[in-house]
Amino acid sequence: MSSFAAEYDVPIPYMQRTRDYYLALGYAAYRWAHFVDVPFTPLRKPLNRARLGLITTAAPFQPEAGDQGPGAPYNAAAKFYQTYSLSTESVPDLRISHVGYDRLHTSAKDINTYFPLARLREAVAAGRIGELAPRFHGAPTNRSHRETAERDLPELLRRCQDDAVDAVLLVPS
Amino acid sequence: MGLVARHLEANGIATVIMGCAKDIVERCGVPRFLFSDFPLGNSVGRPFDVESQRQTLELALQVLETAPAPRTTVQSPQRWNEDAAWKRDYNDLSKLSPEKIAERRAEFEVVRAVARSKRESV
Repeated sequence: MSSFAAEYDVPIPYMQRTRDYYLALGYAAYRWAHFVDVPFTPLRKPLNRARLGLITTAAPFQPEAGDQGPGAPYNAAAKFYQTYSLSTESVPDLRISHVGYDRLHTSAKDINTYFPLARLREAVAAGRIGELAPRFHGAPTNRSHRETAERDLPELLRRCQDDAVDAVLLVPS
Repeated sequence: MGLVARHLEANGIATVIMGCAKDIVERCGVPRFLFSDFPLGNSVGRPFDVESQRQTLELALQVLETAPAPRTTVQSPQRWNEDAAWKRDYNDLSKLSPEKIAERRAEFEVVRAVARSKRESV
């Protein structure tokens, strides 16, 4: 029988850590949205005949927005508040300095750890996926649930419908 | 991202999320989730390790194809490090003095002001 794991060797309780951290700094607790019911749509065709969409929270590099390089401090100036779309034929320069990734234990030096376009193209070439949608979409990381619900969700849905995708892969960074 | 997955799914588009924040994604309640127990920022696998990324994506695709019901979470078998000590560091208050906490608060006030002005300029 394998040995027991260390007490702390579990998925990090991010909500508890974040709540405690900001309370210690003197801020009110952030409330994460949650729901009782979860919608579910089966994949209606084999993946090797399906068109797959991709949604990311990474941000296009903005030359005027300060340090967005690997290991840059949290950079709110690099945030974006409107959905964007770029060609999946391109090689976009996307950064994650605007979100709270683990700056101590990882560096964001390799875009492929948070944006799988290169791996997806390989999967299409290998016949695993039918095709990629012609563009991928960037979802704003807005703390306001209301703004997300009223503006971003309908916009992302409309763009995915325009792309006629069968399924979507979502990758938060 | 959980909200996006839910909205697409409610409108007839199947989804799968790849991510590293298990508690946050599961709290929201999403249809399909491939969880990697890696530091935030590595949803697609290990840096500069194509095989790790390929295997992570393949698992996510299998979750998309085979999840029998909503709230399906599959955890990648990949391990970030033999030693799990890294998991103790995220927002670890025990290492911060009162002076350091005041410093972090001042930094966060700047971040908030920048985010606010950026948001209002949209």
